[in-house]
Amino acid sequence: MLDIIKHVHHTPRTLMTAETNALPLSIRDLKFTYRIREQAAIENINLDLHPGELMLVAGASGSGKTTLMRCINGLIPRSYRGKLEGDMRLFGQSLADLTMAELSQQVGTLLQDPERQIVASYVVNEVAFGLENLGLPREEILPRVDEALDYLNIGYLRDRETFSLSGGEKQKVALAGVLAMRPRILILDEPLASLDPASAFEALELFRHLADEGISIMLVEHRVDDVLAIKPDSVFYMENGREMYKGAPDGLMAVADYHRIKLPAEYVLQRARSEAPSVFTPAVGENNGAGPQLLAQFKNVTFRYDKDLPNVLQDVSFDIHTGDIIAILGPNGAGKSTLVKHALGLLKPTSGEVLLQGESTRTKTVAQAAHTVGYVFQNPGQMLFAPTVQEELAFGPKNLRMDAATVTTNVDWAIETVNMEEYRESPPLALSYGQQKRVSIAAILAMRSRLLMMDEPTAGQDYWNYRAFMDSILQMPGFGAVIFITHDVDLALVYANRILLLADGQLAADGPPAKVMADEALLRRCRVLPTSLLHLNLKHLPQTGRLMRAEELAHAIG
Amino acid sequence: MKDSNMWSFGTRQVVYAAIGAALYGVFSWATNFIPLPSVGNVTFRPAVVIPAFFGVAFGPLVGFLAGGIGNVLGDFLSGWGFFWNWSLGNGLMGLIPGLMAASVVSFKDRGTITKAIMYAIGGVVVGMLFASLTEMFTSGIDISTALVGYFTPAAIGNAIVIAVLLPIVMVAYDAVAARSGR
Amino acid sequence: MLVTWKYRPRGTFLDSLDPRSRWITSFLILFAMVPIWHPYVMVGYFCLSMTQFFLSRLTWQETKRVWFFIIFLIVIVIGLNAIITGRGGPGEIQRLEPHVLWERSFNILGATWTPNITVEKIGFGITQMFRMMGTAVLFFIIPWTIDPSKYGVTFSGMGIPYRFAFSMDLAFRFVPTLARDFATTVDSQRARGYEVERLEGGLITQIRRVAPLIVPVVMNAIVNGEDITNAMDLRCFGQDKRTWIGKLQYRTRDYFWIGIGVAVFLGALYLNWGLNLENFFVPTWFYGLFGVVP
Repeated sequence: MLDIIKHVHHTPRTLMTAETNALPLSIRDLKFTYRIREQAAIENINLDLHPGELMLVAGASGSGKTTLMRCINGLIPRSYRGKLEGDMRLFGQSLADLTMAELSQQVGTLLQDPERQIVASYVVNEVAFGLENLGLPREEILPRVDEALDYLNIGYLRDRETFSLSGGEKQKVALAGVLAMRPRILILDEPLASLDPASAFEALELFRHLADEGISIMLVEHRVDDVLAIKPDSVFYMENGREMYKGAPDGLMAVADYHRIKLPAEYVLQRARSEAPSVFTPAVGENNGAGPQLLAQFKNVTFRYDKDLPNVLQDVSFDIHTGDIIAILGPNGAGKSTLVKHALGLLKPTSGEVLLQGESTRTKTVAQAAHTVGYVFQNPGQMLFAPTVQEELAFGPKNLRMDAATVTTNVDWAIETVNMEEYRESPPLALSYGQQKRVSIAAILAMRSRLLMMDEPTAGQDYWNYRAFMDSILQMPGFGAVIFITHDVDLALVYANRILLLADGQLAADGPPAKVMADEALLRRCRVLPTSLLHLNLKHLPQTGRLMRAEELAHAIG
Repeated sequence: MKDSNMWSFGTRQVVYAAIGAALYGVFSWATNFIPLPSVGNVTFRPAVVIPAFFGVAFGPLVGFLAGGIGNVLGDFLSGWGFFWNWSLGNGLMGLIPGLMAASVVSFKDRGTITKAIMYAIGGVVVGMLFASLTEMFTSGIDISTALVGYFTPAAIGNAIVIAVLLPIVMVAYDAVAARSGR
Repeated sequence: MLVTWKYRPRGTFLDSLDPRSRWITSFLILFAMVPIWHPYVMVGYFCLSMTQFFLSRLTWQETKRVWFFIIFLIVIVIGLNAIITGRGGPGEIQRLEPHVLWERSFNILGATWTPNITVEKIGFGITQMFRMMGTAVLFFIIPWTIDPSKYGVTFSGMGIPYRFAFSMDLAFRFVPTLARDFATTVDSQRARGYEVERLEGGLITQIRRVAPLIVPVVMNAIVNGEDITNAMDLRCFGQDKRTWIGKLQYRTRDYFWIGIGVAVFLGALYLNWGLNLENFFVPTWFYGLFGVVP
């Protein structure tokens, strides 16, 4: 058997297809139960994958997508133990008979976060890694590395350090490392999650191209909306570990739960008409009828890290008042995070100044600034350390030297506000990602900071979870204003009442979403891609007067 | 997945040895910029909890590499150069606590934590003794100088840091380990 | 926090050597010198190390930190050693009749302690200084002169199983990422009012205070490690045989370099057992400097 695999592997692709008429992948009655759980993670899965087919595998988190992928790429049962039942065949051969080395030359997997799969310091070593492991001779490896790099048009990255690459470049390098092994099936596990919209769009076009060249692709993604743009050949939709729909993409719109996965806005609009209208009223900045108060001011802020380096921020000025829900929108590298770090005084302006409730951040320590500004970093895992949620939440107030009674009151109130009473004594590190996100918000609440700033609040969460998360934050009492950084246009238009558009360190626009987003030329100039929801909103703008979510729009336009 | 043989060294061990080493190196270097507690000529380097913890959590070989390679990396980053005998000593500081890895049932169990601290302090003694005694041959110092000048300050500082931080890190890891699906 | 490796290509002879020959020769010279205490040989050893240092073309600016560190260490250690016993390694100077230059008795808790300074101790201290400098200089140039991306293939090429060697490469890969993560965590905690600069409370409290900085970084790295492990398994890591595309090849100059190491090693053996020049002694002229007649 080994000989056959070797033979097949070294045979040109065309020959091989002629030899084996079997489908690239065929799955019958697949069921898997993790060793540590009682309930099956996936059950009754049946699917066929054809040569050159681009299959979208959709579903919310917890739907079993990841488990299914692990069954196909062999991590189940080789790394993850449990009970595997059913039949899986790769070009007619049972998957169970293959070794990992044999399997991984047929099935290539691109994991979600390229940062967590790059294992080499240099691009050339990264791409060569799999081939090195197979023990191929150097003379064969190097041409294959160059071939994979050239194929993705990233030959110029060959000798770069992987650490210094952008997110989009990292993903292409990781993909090159997979392609160098010449897989015939490619599994892409939420490949868009860590990319900004422009890079995501580029990546999707590349995947389409790969499928057109004959590789069978299973693309796991909850951003169905975006994937439909590259016209997948089929869709496999899962909920709770079971198949809910299989077939042409169009059919998915009728069956999928549009609350759980992100469907194109037109379909949501149609389907939401028959539902009860949803009401969403943010509670940000409620102060018993008193007018808006000034919380913070940026005055001609210019910043560079070093006098020899270019400006990261260039003459940025704006005010933040109570009641503001501001989205800072812009591509990667526009200076979004740098801007927000100034509000807290983590960075001080090179020229100009930032005032917090009238006082310059130059004269304040970060700890003093934290009384006004609460900054939630992207990944909650980078701040959680305490043995219980309660202790985690007390950390901030204690640092701010609040007295014991105030600490207790604030912690109780914060836990209640984020609805986590039952987890009070739980270790935050054992919670799910979404729960950790809530703890990170509660940690800011407990400090009673008036201004909440969030860096990419939706990163790492699926559509359903991040919507619930954003809804609940904006409905929490206690924040005077909320600012969030995002590159997700829809997030900005649904939740913000003001948008700061940032490009190359400069403020390109500042105003209500309906005004900023209506200028499509401006958006494109700032490398922000309009979405189906934006187009739909703009179409009905004369009638509605503002931008809103598709469900709301359905009722607003009658 | 719990490996039955604590000396086995598969992909998982390769990865955690590298992570432990990189963490030890980075923390050793980063704490150059942070004021550290010190008493007399004993400085308390929080980073030393890393090899001990990686030993306890992932076995003796992972602990050894985390300590050994990590010390090399820390010296490289800080610009101290390269001192092979101290790197080996740091490796032992991770290896010896690793000898109890197979017996860990729960990382938050009081008995396990106590045992881990004992092993880790044993590791500090053996590791620092090794490094100090090799100085006798390379630098030509007397055993009492080795003990007073090198061993005692290093061992006391490291042992106290480990006794304080190892339980905290183990309890935190207990929560993380519960989330892994392997 | 951006980490930078000290290495950069300097176009020197040392750069052009195979890293394996660098390691082999360095250790050959180190082991050759361990048994020897002859002061003149130690000066020769120091000169040998310094020759390698000059070949590396490192500048004072690049290396001043390590020089200060080494000199500080040597002063402390030699001073301490001289005060405590003045003896060294194999107890060399016990054999010599002490010529006391200074002596004083202290009464500490009922015990009498009599530190002294003798000509022999000074002579020994100076020899020791050359020895320690020689050893430090022999090795400390390594981070500046060996390409960090070559460690895996170097150690694999020296017979270390490839899994261990790859751990080394992988550790180098993680360093910049984890340094960045650490900086993010420091910022996150500062945003929660944590003041890194402030040391307060007793010793235990002070040590505990670093937990919020290191625990998140460690746990995050461990969680991410699961994905890295999967990614490596999915690309067949762990087969019996592995190729390294980084190519190492011994060339004539490497044999020359290793030859120097071997020559020094054999020469030291000959000095030791052939000529019996291994022992420490104090030259007559040295006594003369202190006006002492041996």
